[in-house]
Amino acid sequence: MPDIFITLFEVFMRTYEGFLKAALITLELTAVAIVIGTLFGVMFALMKISQSKILQTIANLYITLIRGTPLIVQIMFLYYGITSIIVLSNFWAGAIALGIHNGAYIAEIFRGAIQGIDRGQQEASLAVGMNRRQAMRRIIFPQALRRAIPPLGNQFIITLKDSSLVYVIGVSELFGLANREAAASFQSFETFLVVGLYYLVLVLIFSGLLKWYENKLNVDK
Amino acid sequence: MLTGKNIHKSFDDLEVLKGIDIDVEAGEVVVLIGVSGSGKSTLLRCMNFLEMLDEGEITVDGRKVNHKKDDLSKVRAEVGMVFQHFNLFPHKTVLENVAEAPIIVKKINKKQAEKEAYAILEKVGLSDKADVYPGKLSGGQKQRVAIARALAMEPKALLFDEPTSALDPELVGEVLQVMQDLANEGMTMVVVTHEMKFAKEVADRIIMLDEGRIIEDAKPEIFFNHSENERTRQFLEMVDV
Repeated sequence: MPDIFITLFEVFMRTYEGFLKAALITLELTAVAIVIGTLFGVMFALMKISQSKILQTIANLYITLIRGTPLIVQIMFLYYGITSIIVLSNFWAGAIALGIHNGAYIAEIFRGAIQGIDRGQQEASLAVGMNRRQAMRRIIFPQALRRAIPPLGNQFIITLKDSSLVYVIGVSELFGLANREAAASFQSFETFLVVGLYYLVLVLIFSGLLKWYENKLNVDK
Repeated sequence: MLTGKNIHKSFDDLEVLKGIDIDVEAGEVVVLIGVSGSGKSTLLRCMNFLEMLDEGEITVDGRKVNHKKDDLSKVRAEVGMVFQHFNLFPHKTVLENVAEAPIIVKKINKKQAEKEAYAILEKVGLSDKADVYPGKLSGGQKQRVAIARALAMEPKALLFDEPTSALDPELVGEVLQVMQDLANEGMTMVVVTHEMKFAKEVADRIIMLDEGRIIEDAKPEIFFNHSENERTRQFLEMVDV
């Protein structure tokens, strides 16, 4: 067996306990970011398509600011911004930053999905006596959600990978640990290769679940 | 029962309705005809406020509707609408499509609403499709479900916007049959259609629109056989009755 595989295997065996723990932190970060991001996303999507100019403006401002600046800047900004006001662990600061960041992209996904639903659906809902809110909640949004699932899944995968950036505020997730491990062992190449594989496996599991869920929805219909 | 006075409606610079007066009595079946662009669909959509009037007023069952102040959902619940493209809710079963509005709008409990929905489906001959999703139905079946959905709100009047125009010819009959049954039961109906046979046999009155104005309002017998209006005669020749 070539040397590289032996070294890789050694690095893997030496680090897997730490990396598994770190992988768990990565997953937790991702989960929190997805929950916050989805809540923000739905909220700002509804604001953006609302009839209130004020709500539209707020939503546009949020989306423009988030999409117009790098995630790493937002993480730093939020970390130093929030923690100067309240005591917050770097995990939560990072997770919230990731969530707010994703919210902007998810808002655009929902907005597109909602606006993609045929106008006739809204008209039919109104024609049977529903008000706009009932029509949105019962008829438009459930259909938009189905349509949003493939792009949402994509965004969730991006979230998982972007969670690596919170290493800059010292969270010991996969990439943070890999960074320290590489510096300590001088085996940078092997370490980053190994951590890359961890991400790959997580993403593959993630996409598998998403595919399964999409199929399930299609069968239901 | 359902009246419109001096209805004006424009889209941008295009004035589609130029002062329409219409009065539909309870139990009456009125068919609106006219070439495309004559404003018949817009008139229908104004009558249940899917389009807002620029000028004029609508009275439902003796009550004048103020579209700026009144709760339009209540008005729409009383005046049902059937669309050309059915607009069924694709994520809900046939039964759910029919029971949805009574549950959400009228707050009827689910069991009761579904029981009633089932009875209405039976009436339009589709109770065996209750648990099927709309995607699995033919166009004619979809339109019958759409009619059932409108009926479930127990409306005082039903508006039909070209209900058979999107159907394959062999499916038109089943929808017209349901509409004819409703007419026989005394439902107040306003129908935009190109089905001249239906107009002849079912309508109590035919209203002909041309360029945003009513140019003729007559009983079918007179409309089809003794019209003195030049435009009406041209139209009838064109549609070849």
